Amino acid sequence: MSKKILETPYGTQDFLPREAAIKRVIEQKVFKIFKRYGYEEVVTPTIEYLETLTMGSSRTIEEHLFKMFDRSNRTLALHHEMTTPIARLVSSRLKDSSMPLKLSYNTNVFRYEQTLPGRQCEFYQAGVELLGSSSTCADAEIIALAVECLQSAGLNDFELCLGQVEFASGIMEQNNLDVETKEFLKTAIEHHDIVALEKRVDELQLSKTTADSLKQIPYLHGGKEIINKAHNFALNERSRRALDNLSEIYRLLEVYNVADKIVFDLGLIRDFSYYTGMVFEAYAPNLGYSLAGGGRYDHMLKDFGLACPATGFALGIERIMLARKRQGIVEDYRVRDIYIGYDAANVNEAIKDAQRLRSEGKVIELALMPQSEDEARQSQHDKGYNELIYLSN
Amino acid sequence: MINEPYITIALPKGKLFGLSTELLKKIGWTAENLTEKSRKLVITNEEKRLNFIITKTADVPTYVEYGAADIGIIGKDVIAESGKDVYELLDLGFGKCHLMMAVPKDKKRPNLQDYAHTRVVTKFPHIAEQFFTSQGMQMEYIKLNGSIELGPIIGLSESIVDIVETGTTLRENNLEEIVNIMDATARLIVNPVSFKLKFERINAMVTELKKILQSKYKMA
Repeated sequence: MSKKILETPYGTQDFLPREAAIKRVIEQKVFKIFKRYGYEEVVTPTIEYLETLTMGSSRTIEEHLFKMFDRSNRTLALHHEMTTPIARLVSSRLKDSSMPLKLSYNTNVFRYEQTLPGRQCEFYQAGVELLGSSSTCADAEIIALAVECLQSAGLNDFELCLGQVEFASGIMEQNNLDVETKEFLKTAIEHHDIVALEKRVDELQLSKTTADSLKQIPYLHGGKEIINKAHNFALNERSRRALDNLSEIYRLLEVYNVADKIVFDLGLIRDFSYYTGMVFEAYAPNLGYSLAGGGRYDHMLKDFGLACPATGFALGIERIMLARKRQGIVEDYRVRDIYIGYDAANVNEAIKDAQRLRSEGKVIELALMPQSEDEARQSQHDKGYNELIYLSN
Repeated sequence: MINEPYITIALPKGKLFGLSTELLKKIGWTAENLTEKSRKLVITNEEKRLNFIITKTADVPTYVEYGAADIGIIGKDVIAESGKDVYELLDLGFGKCHLMMAVPKDKKRPNLQDYAHTRVVTKFPHIAEQFFTSQGMQMEYIKLNGSIELGPIIGLSESIVDIVETGTTLRENNLEEIVNIMDATARLIVNPVSFKLKFERINAMVTELKKILQSKYKMA
């Protein structure tokens, strides 16, 4: 006999009924909001060609992908996020649709990385992409939608940090830095490796204003006043436009009535090889990583042959589940209405009763063999059903 | 301050502990009985809403990455070895040391490349591997938790990769440094989400520490 393998592969997990029910409820709530904002669901294959998933990404995403070969030895990979597959879809089969296009998804994605609670190799993401609009209204809608989704998932204690990658890019443009240096500085800002950032900036012997601006970026964090403060460090039109863009988005978010959740954070630049405008991430206390994230990515679709501005975001379903748990939200969505037991003479009656009650929407468990009334009561109790119906003559 | 959430600071046992508490005290971040000998696991300053935890050196980045501690003080060597995702906000300047490769004096080879495919004993296998890979060298890494210099003496390895402060241990054991891998000092590290959600207090702390470090630097 072969050895029994009972564990799941590294970075994967089972959802037992209680957790699976919570997950389903969260997904349904989120999807309802997506729908109300006019986003329609698309489903793409779990596997894509490796070249599709790595398209346009200068980052070393490839080492984090789960890869395999097809019959003709082309490399396939499990999708690691949904923005790229949707970009492929929109640039091909949907390229003639009337823009803007509003699409949503809810799927498992795969990344090979070190696992932590809430950070597995296989995890679930729900999100939206808004394609074909470069207006600030589109960005504001995405952010308002993200806030509403988190609230509808039962989270109230969270903060949404909002940044703009063009602000940092503008400052770097100022000194004709070479590509490698820019990359180093952006990576240092993104990871808040401030020791490395300051050291490199000092080595570069930039003008004092540029050096000060670069060093300040990670600390430009806070309320509305941060935008004014940041203007002192904006050295050119590009940076100033980025700040004006944030002000305008914020103004719209005030109208959406979600501005109280927003914190400006110009040190937030996420994956800069990809984002071109506003970026955001949502955080909750007691959870060491973001719940949701997104931003504007106007160049990505060009790589697939369709020049098209785009913005969007994704939510981490397991992370929302974990944040709820840590905020003390305890619940059980499993419904168990009636257990039906019967004696040997009443099986037909019992089936008819069960079907009638089920058609009324009740959750019914029908005994699978005749029982005594005591046995039936015991079963009802063991399985946690609210009521017992026992049929006997 | 009553409803303000606590800030938890992880401090490493050993030589960085005294220097860290001394520095934090200067900005008023301290607590009664904050000593290495304390039997309490969490030492609290209720008035200032601070918790201190004292942990093993190598565990500081872990506490901070998971957000169990908001802030930690730890050597750059330990951060680099852990590969943890934490924000590194300040170089505190103390705890200066460097990570280097050393071999027995009498078995020294002409070039670094001559050590390819040999065995190296170290507490820092990740940093060592990154370094040798960047040199295009494959090595056999043997992880030990202490008395690294014993490795080549008893024939467990051809070389060691270890931390050096003064070089006394190397000399006593007839070892010679052949290449410097990285310089390290103590760093202030912060959990990324704590940095965002507790920004004001952490930013104020960093600003005050910076002032102290700069004035110290000028004096030196």
